[in-house]
Amino acid sequence: MTVIRWAGRTLVRSPLRTILLVGVLSVSIGLALIMITVNGAFEDRVDEIRAQVGTDITVRPAGTFGGGFAIRLDGGTGGGSVETSSPDQQTQQVLTDEDIEPISDVEHVVGYTRRISAQYSGDALQSAIEPPAGVQVPEGFTGPPVLVAGTEDASSLTAFGEEAEIVEGRTFESDEGEAEVAVIGQSLAEANGLSVGDTVDLEGTSVEVIGVFTTGTQFGDNQLVLPLEVARDIFDRGTEIDEVTVRVDSAENVAAVTETLRETIGEDKADVTSQETAFDAISAPVSDAASSSQVAMYAALIASAVIILFSVGIVVRQRIKEIGILKAVGASGWHVTGQMTLETLFIAVVAAAIGALATFPLAQGVADGLVSDPATATGPQFIGGGGPGIAELPDGPGAIVRQAADTAGGGVLGGVEVAVSPEVFVYALVIAIGLAIIATIIPAWYVGRVKPAEVLRYE
Amino acid sequence: MSNPETSGCTAVAENVVKHFNTGATTVRAVDDVSFQLPHGRMIALRGPSGCGKSTLLNLLGALDRPDSGRITVGGQDIGAARGSREVAYRRRSVGFVFQMFNLLPHLTALENVALPMELAGGLSGDARRRKAGVLLERVGLAPEKHLRRPSRLSGGEQQRVAIARALANDPTLILADEPTANLDSTTGAAIIALLRGLAEGDRTVVIATHDNAVAQKADLVISMRDGKLLGKWVEEEATTGA
Repeated sequence: MTVIRWAGRTLVRSPLRTILLVGVLSVSIGLALIMITVNGAFEDRVDEIRAQVGTDITVRPAGTFGGGFAIRLDGGTGGGSVETSSPDQQTQQVLTDEDIEPISDVEHVVGYTRRISAQYSGDALQSAIEPPAGVQVPEGFTGPPVLVAGTEDASSLTAFGEEAEIVEGRTFESDEGEAEVAVIGQSLAEANGLSVGDTVDLEGTSVEVIGVFTTGTQFGDNQLVLPLEVARDIFDRGTEIDEVTVRVDSAENVAAVTETLRETIGEDKADVTSQETAFDAISAPVSDAASSSQVAMYAALIASAVIILFSVGIVVRQRIKEIGILKAVGASGWHVTGQMTLETLFIAVVAAAIGALATFPLAQGVADGLVSDPATATGPQFIGGGGPGIAELPDGPGAIVRQAADTAGGGVLGGVEVAVSPEVFVYALVIAIGLAIIATIIPAWYVGRVKPAEVLRYE
Repeated sequence: MSNPETSGCTAVAENVVKHFNTGATTVRAVDDVSFQLPHGRMIALRGPSGCGKSTLLNLLGALDRPDSGRITVGGQDIGAARGSREVAYRRRSVGFVFQMFNLLPHLTALENVALPMELAGGLSGDARRRKAGVLLERVGLAPEKHLRRPSRLSGGEQQRVAIARALANDPTLILADEPTANLDSTTGAAIIALLRGLAEGDRTVVIATHDNAVAQKADLVISMRDGKLLGKWVEEEATTGA
């Protein structure tokens, strides 16, 4: 009780010193906590982007990088070269089931989905897309062709990089791989007066419409999706594949698996593109900010520890004579150590609490300050850069980038929100306690070792 | 087991050595010193500055430890005392009076005197304050000044408070290190007279001083130079009686 009473009296006897010490420690601890919180927020954001981008790898026949199926209204303006994979324009490599057999043996691959794409220009289906008003079209051109996709996984329908939503009926199941059924885009169905239960004759094969989907896009809804084997039969594609989506067990393994697939299948056979590239492009500004915040976090921690040590050290030095006197008149080492511990612990706890309270409102501002320019995270330079334009390559990496960037919401960096996740809170708490311990233990240890004869000798 | 030769002594030093390292050199502040301090006397430890007086006082007060040799106070080997024994010795057996008074500036005179009692325990707050008041009156501090802080007391008054503090736990040994060095001669004489009056019964007062006038008031004088006692120390009867 004597120690507690003395510690309390010491704290209140010099209120200005106590307040200043609390202030300095609050700023130090708050600075460290802010940087920890900001760093945590950036790292969480990078993880979110990684999760949005996904862990898929796309394998296409060599020479079709950027999209397995292209519709060129203007002859293509992108920087890359694109060939279609339609049966009558097979100028790129042909990829077959045999070529991709090694995929399943690659470590970290959890599965893959094959897909083909084809243009249908017969009479059974009319395109739902009208040429834009005022655009000169060649004679006999009736509009963009209807797209037909054959896939072995209709559970997660996508068209032109957009998730498709079933609005009527259903999609086909995995055991319907050879069933002559189809899921049709909403606008295509409306343009042709089709609904669930109707049949469409495609090159002599009668296909029953079992579902209608929408993607919300004009091109996405001008599409018919069939089971892979049925599409192959109709378009006489044998064992050809236009696209394989390989699923990897974790984002960390995507790069390694991508490289392995390139070596295994052969770069002359297939273009293997991972979303890692897209992830890097999207997350680069956030990653840069995260790196900066990490450096700042360590700097802040070191600076905080140094400031705390110096501040408390100065106070202890000021009181060294008092400690010597106390010991000379009968105070034990435990007494002065306990008193100093209680005093600095109280100051450190109050400072940590103030620092923590100041952290979360200020952290968002610091995070925003670290963001260079949200606009750089989105925009066409990532989407079409070095390759064909997004309009021409709906399913290429550009679409992935666009999707992820859009998901990030008005700019990836602008989407970084500093929130108090349990992990960050615990982390910050541990750091605050650590700094408080530094502020407490070292001075207490020091005063416990003070020899009264030494400090009073030089009076 | 008491030694017949030292049974009448408060403190006994045997071949005490204490040295300090100052950079590359070693200073033998106390160099093979032996002496006996009898009960109830005022003893002056006389010598020039730096001769080792304060170091010897610190060793007697357990504020420092000898490198070799032995110091016993009241039969207790204080050089070997550690931890709670060392603290208990400082609390109960010895009282220190410093040249610079060394009062805690944030405490009143009364609180400064009560401080050793509070650290030693055993007395209630009221009892401590009452005893501190009695001690302050005994050393001649006017009652209206008991609640003043040291900054509002004169040097002589501060030294009186320091003496009262040294008496707080009724020690048998009072150690005063140049107690008059910062006081004018009149005040210094009054302080010496006060200390002289404390040397009675079992209580011994040791004053370190370089002032011959102060030393002349002592019952015994131990002269030091360069860490050594000068010859056999001389016992003198107090002539002034303070």
